[in-house]
Amino acid sequence: MTFPRLVRLLYRNLVVNTDVGTIFFVVGLPTLYLVFFGYGYQSFLPGDKSYLLFLTPGILSFQTLIAGTVTGSMLWLDRRFGMLAQLLVGPFTRIQYLLGLILTSLILGIAGGLVMLVVSSVIVPHYIAPLGFGTMILAIIVGSICYGSIMLLISALVRSQNTYNSIQVSVIFLSNFASTVFYPYSENLPVPLRILFLANPLTYISNTVRDGYMGSYSALDLFQFALTSMFTLIMLLLSARAYFRAEIATT
Amino acid sequence: MTEPVSVSNLNHSYDGRRYVVEGVSFEVRKGEVFGLLGRNGAGKTTIIKVLTTLIKPTSGSVSVLGYDPVRDGKKIRERIGVVQQSESYDFTTVEKNFDLYGMLWGVDKSEARRRKEELISSFGLESIRKKNVADISGGEKRRLQVAREFMHDMDLLFLDEPTVGIDVIMRRELLNLIKKKAREGLTIIFTTHNLEEADYLCDRVAIIAKGRILALDTVENLKRIYTNRTAIELQVNEANSEALFKKLSEIYGSNLYVVDNTNAVISSEDPKDAIPTIIDLASKTGSHIEYISVRKSTLEDVLIQLLSGAS
Repeated sequence: MTFPRLVRLLYRNLVVNTDVGTIFFVVGLPTLYLVFFGYGYQSFLPGDKSYLLFLTPGILSFQTLIAGTVTGSMLWLDRRFGMLAQLLVGPFTRIQYLLGLILTSLILGIAGGLVMLVVSSVIVPHYIAPLGFGTMILAIIVGSICYGSIMLLISALVRSQNTYNSIQVSVIFLSNFASTVFYPYSENLPVPLRILFLANPLTYISNTVRDGYMGSYSALDLFQFALTSMFTLIMLLLSARAYFRAEIATT
Repeated sequence: MTEPVSVSNLNHSYDGRRYVVEGVSFEVRKGEVFGLLGRNGAGKTTIIKVLTTLIKPTSGSVSVLGYDPVRDGKKIRERIGVVQQSESYDFTTVEKNFDLYGMLWGVDKSEARRRKEELISSFGLESIRKKNVADISGGEKRRLQVAREFMHDMDLLFLDEPTVGIDVIMRRELLNLIKKKAREGLTIIFTTHNLEEADYLCDRVAIIAKGRILALDTVENLKRIYTNRTAIELQVNEANSEALFKKLSEIYGSNLYVVDNTNAVISSEDPKDAIPTIIDLASKTGSHIEYISVRKSTLEDVLIQLLSGAS
């Protein structure tokens, strides 16, 4: 039985990302964040407020950034180590390869999110309503495509390894810590930080996932979701444009 | 019947200013091993990239397996195999690279398993099959890259310098394997710097320099045409060698190939005449000849002669 080409590409992408390093990055790192940050900050909080309960949906949304990073690195490595050119002189088209990467980001984001949900349920048991679960998954889907696109854009534009690494680390840091993944947005923040928070898609993804997790929906969720989807679409188009214009191999 | 590859007046420029391939025309016949020979940057890989649909030619007419690479790239790619000059592999085990490649090409699982075992054995990869490609040597990676290409069926195979980094014994085995595949009907386009390989393997070769074909014929014919001469190898002391080589170039023109500032090769029809001239010029320019020898010209000399003429 021969599977469609896109499925074959997707399978290949997932198989080459099952090395120990990537698995640690996808599952181990968020778990460490959850445990260390969760228990660390919990000790500061007075009364019965649960920081772990706040952090869990943040970490779930953080998975979208991780999934996007893995996907961006994949394009980078395939350009650097010749597999992109090899696939494109084989039975695949450029668009199939791009769709394969986007789907990889999607699957890694959802799978990573589900794993973290299981891990978090051991640390902090919490009931999630079906509608809340659906909201979370939807936000993770959009987030994974969003960060997949952002990282693909960087991979397609950058030619040197050092530049790529520097930009990638900066994007991860800024997205992660200038968002509501680890702490809530506050008007008391300095203005530049407030701007960063509000310009960061992970803030909205994190807010939506958190509202789904807590079962506290509002019209704001719909607005945030629409805003993130629109930004994602723009990023997807920009990354596709950069990818189609990029040289197949880096130097 | 259409030939598997037909190229007519192909031109390609990456920047719109300088042509890296210019007016190239050739045909590759079914079941032949066709060699593209030339120095680095001669345009060989660009031609391969056009034929394998990786880049669109600036102008010219190209047909691969009866299809136009620009319009019907997908149909071509389904029937060709390509071993690129640059490395290409997934960062997983050697064995898994075979599995993935077979899967990507849609090869039936049991057939893929059979081919993998056969290729691992014939390419001497048994001892490293469980190793990650990051942990194997450059030569082993190259062997994997070439072997992996035989996981799928094809009508036309492009081999862009496939033997770089491979040891002598494995290289000969690889060349034999390629020869065997050609005898079975596979058409092969092969680029190399190694003239021994071209001599051993290719039915016909095109010698390329600066994007143009300088000569195209069977290896035997090229040798007959260009090597009905002798090669005089000359080694001189560095002092005054420049003056000597200048004088020699005035007499021998493109038949003189200066290897470096102390070595040169002169292609001559009559060495009995040439040697006294060389000695005389050396004496006049104050150069000291350290070594001089006369031998029959080889394919390498043909290439050197053509390339030095082109430059």
